[in-house]
Parts: sequence; C-alpha cells; structure tokens
Amino acid sequence: MSASYKPVIWNRTKIIYDGVLLAGIVIYILIFLNLGPMLSPALRDVDPPIQRMRAFGSLALLMLTIVLAIGPLARIDTRFMPLLYNRRHFGVLTAIIAATHAQYVLGWYFSFSPTPQLTALFTSNTSFTSIAGFPFELFGAFALAVLVVLAVTSHDFWLSFLTPPLWKAIHMSVYFAYAAVILHVALGALLDRRDLVLGFLSFGGLALLCVLHLVAGRRESASDNAASATTPDKPWIVVGDVSEIAEGRAIIGAAPGGERIAVFRVKGGLSAVSNVCSHQNGPLGEGKVVLGFITCPWHGYQYRLEDGCSPPPFRERIRKYRVRLQGSAVLVDPEPLPLGTRLDPVAIPAELRASTAGNLGKA
Amino acid sequence: MLKPSERGFFVGYFKKVPADVRRLMIGFIVFFIAGMASASVLLSINTDSPGAGRYVDELRGDRLIGTMETSPYPILRVPGTSLRPPRAVMLAASGKFGVDDRALPLAGKAARVGGVFVKRGDLEMLLVGGGDDLTAADPQATSLPTPSPSENLGRWRLTGEICDGKCAAGAMKPGTGLAHKACANLCIDGGVPPVFVSTAPVDGHLYLLLASRDGGPMPASLLDKTGLAIILDGMVERRDDLLIFKVDRIADGEGV
Repeated sequence: MSASYKPVIWNRTKIIYDGVLLAGIVIYILIFLNLGPMLSPALRDVDPPIQRMRAFGSLALLMLTIVLAIGPLARIDTRFMPLLYNRRHFGVLTAIIAATHAQYVLGWYFSFSPTPQLTALFTSNTSFTSIAGFPFELFGAFALAVLVVLAVTSHDFWLSFLTPPLWKAIHMSVYFAYAAVILHVALGALLDRRDLVLGFLSFGGLALLCVLHLVAGRRESASDNAASATTPDKPWIVVGDVSEIAEGRAIIGAAPGGERIAVFRVKGGLSAVSNVCSHQNGPLGEGKVVLGFITCPWHGYQYRLEDGCSPPPFRERIRKYRVRLQGSAVLVDPEPLPLGTRLDPVAIPAELRASTAGNLGKA
Repeated sequence: MLKPSERGFFVGYFKKVPADVRRLMIGFIVFFIAGMASASVLLSINTDSPGAGRYVDELRGDRLIGTMETSPYPILRVPGTSLRPPRAVMLAASGKFGVDDRALPLAGKAARVGGVFVKRGDLEMLLVGGGDDLTAADPQATSLPTPSPSENLGRWRLTGEICDGKCAAGAMKPGTGLAHKACANLCIDGGVPPVFVSTAPVDGHLYLLLASRDGGPMPASLLDKTGLAIILDGMVERRDDLLIFKVDRIADGEGV
C-alpha cells in the first residue's frame, strides 16, 4: 500500500520475485542463443537475427502463458498467492520481451527496403482471404499493442486515475492479446515450420489455461450460485455458523443478488464487509486480520474492521454490513451501509466463544 | 458459504513466510528455472536446416562482361569461355532492391558488372554494389557474341514455392516459407527477381526465374501466393544456364 505514487515500492519479496524472473529470462535466452547452436548444427545455419526473433518470440509466448496461469492457480490454491503479488512485473517484462521480438522482426524481415518498416508491416502481405499465407504479423502487432498498453497502465497511478472497474476491464484485454498471440504463432511459425515443441507450447499451454480457468471459474460460480439461506426475518441471510470462523479469518456468504459478503471474527467480535477489495477486486474474505486490519490476500491492502476505511493516509474504503447472531448462526443484512459508516463489531456471547473455541483453527 | 482455506497467509510485504507457502514457492522457483532451461533447449534445437545457400565472392573485385537483358528482370548474358559455358546471371542490388533503374539504359548493350554472388544449388544471383559495379562496357575494347536465343522447353505444371531469388539463394537463412512471406513480397516489389522453387527438377534445375506469360515481370497477383506450396502452369524456356518459367495460370484456378 502506498499513499503516494512511486515507480516501484521495493521489498524483499519483490526483489526475489524479479530476481528469479530475470534469472529465468536470462537462462532461456543464453541457452537458446548459445547452447542451442552448439547442440544443433541446423540452428547454427540459421541467421542470428532469426535465431533471436525465435528466442524472444517463443519466450514471450511462454511468459504470457505462465502469467495467465497465475490468477487461476492462486484461486485454486492460496499458496500460489505470492506469484500474484508481483504479477504486474511479470506482465511488464513479458511486454518488453515481446517488443524485443518485434524489433528483431522489423529490423530483419521489414528492413533494407524502400518501404518504411511500419508501412511494410501493414502493406507487404495482403493475403487476407486465405488461412495459409494470412498476414499473421498483424495478430502479433495487435497483441504487442495490447501488452504495451497494459504494461504502461500497470502502475497504481493508472488504477486510481482510471478507477478500478475501468482499469480492470482494460486489463482483461490481456485475453484478447493471448488469443492474438496464439493466432500469430499458429498461422506463422507453426504453419511454416510444423514445429512439434512450439505446437505443444502453444496448444498445450492453451489447453492448460482453459482447464485452470474452468476449474477456478467453476469454484467461483458454485459459490455465487449457492446464495446464502434467507431467514424469515428478511432481508437477513444466514452466512454460516460462528463455529466455522477461525480467529482473524472470515467466512463468505452470498447475497441474493450475488454480492459476496465476508464476516470476520476478531477478539470475540464479528464484522461484515464487502468481499471485494477496492484496489483490484481481491477476495478480502480470503484475507486475514493483521495488526487489527482486514488485509487483502492479493496485495495486502488494509481496512479497519469498524468502518471499512483504510488507515490514514490511505483513502481506500469498502462497504460494511450489519451482522447479528441468532443462536450460533451468523446473520447479515445484505443491504450495504454507506461507505465510511462506523459500526462496532457484534460481540460473540461468552458461552458461544467458549463452545466454539475448540473448533477454531490456528490462522 | 465459502470457507477460505486455513493455509498460511502471506502478503509480499510480510517479513515472515509461512512454512507451507515457503515450500511451495521454493518448489515453484526450481520448476520455473528448470522449465525455462528445458523449454529453451527443446525449442532451440527443434529446427530444420535452412540449407547450403551462401554468399560467394567469386569475382574478387573483378567484373563480369556480358550483354544486358532486362526482361523479365535484369539478366547479364555472359559469353562462354574455354573453361565454362555461357551464363545468364540474374542481377539484384543490396537490400531489398533490384537494379532495373541502372540496367534499363544498358538494355541490349555490353555491360560490366561487379558484386558478390549468392548461391544455392543451381540458383545464382549477382548482388551488384553501388558506384561503378554496373556500367556500360567500353565498346572499343569489347566485342561480345550475340547471346543465343531462348530455347523453348515446352509446357509444364510445376509444384513449389514462389520466393525472391536473393533470399532463396541464401541472403536470408531461412529465406523461404511463410515466416518469410512478407520479406519475399518486399524484395519482389523492390525489383529483386522472383524464383520458383520447384519440388522436382526441370531439366536438372530446381530454381526457375518467374515471368509473366508474355515474358514480362511476374504478375503482381502472384504476390498473394508467395511462401506457399502452389501448383503453376506455364511455359519453360532456357537462356544459357537459366530456366525461365512463364506462368499463365494457377493450376485448377484462374489465369494470372
């Protein structure tokens, strides 16, 4: 979290993250361009600029596949959450690698000509009516343009400037970029060289991403569909049993409209808040109360239990909900309170605290 | 109700990493680095050789003297000697440029041409440098025999690929195929003579200079077919050691 906009707020995790990422990139490129030609006489005969465009192009595809797998992986198993924490650096580096690939392509295939490079890119091949021979470079150019826009707007300044819903919508276009990359590779390198390994990377990666997204999506939609039970005392809904909430943790209910509500248990009190972090829509209910603040598992944005506001100087806010107990059942009024409304936690009666203490896991 | 897992909770700015998160992340780092290295090896070595096309400095600063022909593209007809038979040498310039502008004023005349060859099998193209690499030969000192007329080898249906003769000969490796299609179009558009890379030899040749049915430059409509496997119909003729494929139609398609 930061109240001011610095290029990067470094910490140990980010340094390790970027270090591993850069090590992977350097290893990939060094092996491709140095060890590859030693192992393969055929590659040795290939022009060095073409070797470089293949190296950076295949690396960009690999990185884009990995970066798209991080989201569903973190939804399926929260231990992958650290990969999500610094995912934007992964995305920015992917855009840089893709741009390097494009630079080698432009500097080789589209150079040394009376036609300017970019003009040549868009005019030299106009076989739009056939699959084989289609100007696949245009898919690559589109994907690169999207990746560059995403990289440039990845900073929290743009998140705040554009507002989270618009920013999130823009950044979902990474899936269009990925589709364009798959078409770019399939209609270009794959049709041209019939490379089995590249085919596996492209379509195996696509299949893997589909499976991961389907599994994660199924889990989410099952939760959305399982709306919390209503009570005769409408509009209150039953979110769960107090015994199911571990200290410092939450359970998550779904209002009839699908809005998710997280109910946290801290020091014998219950507080209900929106499950959606105001930073990047992270799942707050999967977070934890740290030093008295609800802490988002994605990037660690924090909110006060009593009013849903981030501690000064931060200005993020989430909605709060009324909560009460009926026996050991936790009930929530799905009508959100105005942003910033102060509402003290509902105390859990001593007898319930004592009887549920044995059920609570150590968080 | 969704009850989040009780696994260790970690956000990047925390100092302490829970044991289960640490174990998984260490495993992931090992998998990531090993995966990047393995993918790099597999993707790099899984490649086909672009073949033996190469630059050849045959002239070593010397010049070829012959009769300049400009149809369908600039060709220097070099008379035979006791050591080698007559040659018809395709000409191009550096980069994706032809030499039409410089060859046209010399059409039918004796010319002195220097440069570097690019060669692959029976395909040869002389890449002409700037300055005095392409000039009129001194008429007083030069007495060239009239080049022999073209020999008609009849009508052929050929399977192969259209490419620019310069990259196909080895100026780029690989210099054929779909990935090279845009480059081939730029070369041909810039005046580099196009060739047909046949899958089967025609009178011992796999590379044929492409021309229109009337012997002019390759029809522009064929630019949509570069880099692809294609079947073409047309007449083949021979000029010295060069075969010219005068295309009149795409097989099972319309005329060009």
